[in-house]
Amino acid sequence: MTHYLSLYGLFLRQRFKILMEYRMNFLIGATSTIILQGASLLTITVVMSQIPHLNGWTLEAIFLIYGLITLAKSINHMFADNLWTIGGQYIRTGMFDRFLVRPVDPLFHLLADRFCHDGIGNFLVGSALVAYAWHALAIPLTVFNLIYLIVMVISGGLIFIALNLITAVSAFWVIESVPVTRAIFDNHLFAQYPLTIYPQAIGILLTWVIPYGFASFYPASYLLGQEVGLLAFLSPIVAIVLLSLSYRFWRFGLRHYAGTGS
Amino acid sequence: MVIQVENLSKIYRINQKTPGLGGALKSLFRPQYLDKVAVDGISFEVGQGEIVGYIGVNGAGKSTTIKMLTGILAPTTGSVRVLGRDPHQERVANAREIGAVFGQRTQLWWDLALIESLNMIGKLYDLPPAHYRDQLARFTEMLDLGEILHIPIRNMSLGQKMRAELAATLIHDPKVVYLDEPTIGLDLMVKEKIRAFIKQENRERGITVVLTTHDLGDIEELCQRVIMIDMGKVIYDGALQTIRDRFGKYRTITLELSAMLGTGDLDLLDDTEIEAIDGHKWRIRFDRTRTSASKVAAHVMNQVDVNDFSLTEPDLTGIVKQIYQGALNDIKVSTGELAQVTV
Amino acid sequence: MNTLILRRHWRAFAGIAEMTPKFFLAYRAWVWLAFFSQGLSMTIFLFFWRAVYENTDQIGGLNLDQTLTYVLLAQVISLSVWTNVVSNMGHMVREGQIGVEFLRPIDFQWAQYLGGISQLAISLLLNLPLLGLALLYGAQLPTDVRVWIAFLVSLFLGYTVIFLFDWCIACLVFYTTEVWGLMVFLTGVSAFFSGVLIPLVMMPTWLQTIAAALPFSQVVFVPVGLLSGTIPLTEAPARWLTQLIWVIGLAIVSRICFQIASRKVTVQGG
Repeated sequence: MTHYLSLYGLFLRQRFKILMEYRMNFLIGATSTIILQGASLLTITVVMSQIPHLNGWTLEAIFLIYGLITLAKSINHMFADNLWTIGGQYIRTGMFDRFLVRPVDPLFHLLADRFCHDGIGNFLVGSALVAYAWHALAIPLTVFNLIYLIVMVISGGLIFIALNLITAVSAFWVIESVPVTRAIFDNHLFAQYPLTIYPQAIGILLTWVIPYGFASFYPASYLLGQEVGLLAFLSPIVAIVLLSLSYRFWRFGLRHYAGTGS
Repeated sequence: MVIQVENLSKIYRINQKTPGLGGALKSLFRPQYLDKVAVDGISFEVGQGEIVGYIGVNGAGKSTTIKMLTGILAPTTGSVRVLGRDPHQERVANAREIGAVFGQRTQLWWDLALIESLNMIGKLYDLPPAHYRDQLARFTEMLDLGEILHIPIRNMSLGQKMRAELAATLIHDPKVVYLDEPTIGLDLMVKEKIRAFIKQENRERGITVVLTTHDLGDIEELCQRVIMIDMGKVIYDGALQTIRDRFGKYRTITLELSAMLGTGDLDLLDDTEIEAIDGHKWRIRFDRTRTSASKVAAHVMNQVDVNDFSLTEPDLTGIVKQIYQGALNDIKVSTGELAQVTV
Repeated sequence: MNTLILRRHWRAFAGIAEMTPKFFLAYRAWVWLAFFSQGLSMTIFLFFWRAVYENTDQIGGLNLDQTLTYVLLAQVISLSVWTNVVSNMGHMVREGQIGVEFLRPIDFQWAQYLGGISQLAISLLLNLPLLGLALLYGAQLPTDVRVWIAFLVSLFLGYTVIFLFDWCIACLVFYTTEVWGLMVFLTGVSAFFSGVLIPLVMMPTWLQTIAAALPFSQVVFVPVGLLSGTIPLTEAPARWLTQLIWVIGLAIVSRICFQIASRKVTVQGG
């Protein structure tokens, strides 16, 4: 474990060395998402300024939900972006075989191979939104709330990673896994808004099938003092269950790969 | 034995897809498979310190075998043991003790200076720092890395890249090394350097080397033993000398004459055969253990004016084909499959 | 224009038109994905706007039905209207292909434009299934033929505006390889100011002024506004005129920009 941690640190340092060589690319990549998210957020602001609330949610409350999902997404974006490119960049090119002749876990190697700086923009946007909403909604700044926030954001990030991992495994069969991953990933967009604005079926989908709701809506509800019961604390468990399922599926995919070599 | 391969087979099941969404759905629910036998019941052993040439035409099953030896692929049937381990089941333990060069695909980080890539590989293999430094110093000298240590891989020439690649492959002191086309596309100087390096590592560290190549020079300089594979089967396993004796025996001289001649117009030495390509061009095949190229050429030049001539040596791809066609018993060499080496 | 030139142009047009569907078919999975993603966005828009109108009857003078019609149609149409002039040009300059293009017996910009128009048409056709979804979600299509004509004319003019604008941006690839940063920025700006996300009439006036000063609304807000009735038919001629002024202005600027920029290639010999 410590070996893996120090290895990850080394990969990260080297990655930043490369990124700093292409400083302009780094800056543009890191800020690009801010601009794109800015367009959505401005639109929401314009609309919300003309109505008192959205289904009982104020602009600040929506910012909290939006900020939480964006933070969770940024964790996935920064640390697990290679799950998108496994087919085209690693399996098709034979790079994945390189991982398999090295004495480390290939999944670790894949993830550590590229920290994605484009996720930094999402992290900044998410942090700013949560901080602003936290202040504007006067959520008490207690130690418990802070720990709760951190645990929820990490759980949310792990939910993103787990769902991307499950879908990325399809690359072992079809090589190009992006369409499958995208089709599931895009559902997180629902969780940018309160789940109460959708029909029940979508709420159930986002809670029990593609559980992005645990990355935004339920923690936000809890922080705002809304009654969501146990669901407010379920995110870490959902994350762990989903992650272990997806890792098993990954192992299954690896075995298939060893059988066919794609 | 370092490598033990027993009755090893690999069968790929290829999902037969019909194009289009309908086809995709159909193959999802009622998949149609086609079995493709890539490796077909091969057996061999490699002892410690051997350098074995593993050769065959493209698609013969070479890389599938190497992938099973390195643990990337699981065998369909049969068994592989490398240093007493099943390389696929005990992938990580196996990976610590082997090194692999896969042709042109680099294992180095494209944008990092070589020294940084090597540092990372040292950490990946968890090498003790002192040992790592020794290895690095050794390789820097032997492979002349001094001038390229601080250059990113993306800026290196092909030869520099391959030297860097070899260093990265051997830095963790592997006991077995798989080299897939280590000299392809390189100029003679670099080739020589790389061959010398492999030879030295083999002699001094006792590493076992499995080498796949299309370059006869690699084989002749490095390997005492050759395993030939074709259509998934081992068709020859033995000393390089045997092949050289059988196939290296015949050479062909192609002559371009200034005048038109008929077949009967030339007087020939014993042990040679002549064949006309057209009236001006002629091909003479001779047994080099009985006569020499200069004798054959001189004999012809005494009779007619020769504008140009070239000497042809058999190349491996051609030899593999002939062996597959049972030519090891029948020593007739077909000149059509020989590569040309102009003198 | 004599018939020979016309025929030559038509051939260039038809050649590209023939290639495009093949390209789409090769990436079938991607096409389905694009449908799916866009359908998902439209679903979110549907419920978002329904929730918005729980508390009000009108925003910016539009009721729920009008807003849904606008927003859903904007989602369908906006998929097709963006050009890839900048990335194409970047590719051609990097690969040295641009010199070859200059040798062709047809004006380079004109050929690219014809290719773009054919892509627009094909893409609109390919995205028809999404129109079905928009109708299912409550979008209403006009029955008046004149509205359709007004829409098509303004879409065509609007596309021309964006093509010429992108052409000006594309000239920068002759000078720097970092154009994509600007592209990302412009994508963000156009997402907000083109009217893809909301009808621009919902914005405060000062934002509407900025939107009018930028070219992006010409290709989304104006045509979709006309098609959805957000912009009344009587305004169509005035809108066309504005678009035409944009076209003429940008046509001149883009020609000059390209003249100057492409000199760099001829000097360097490609």
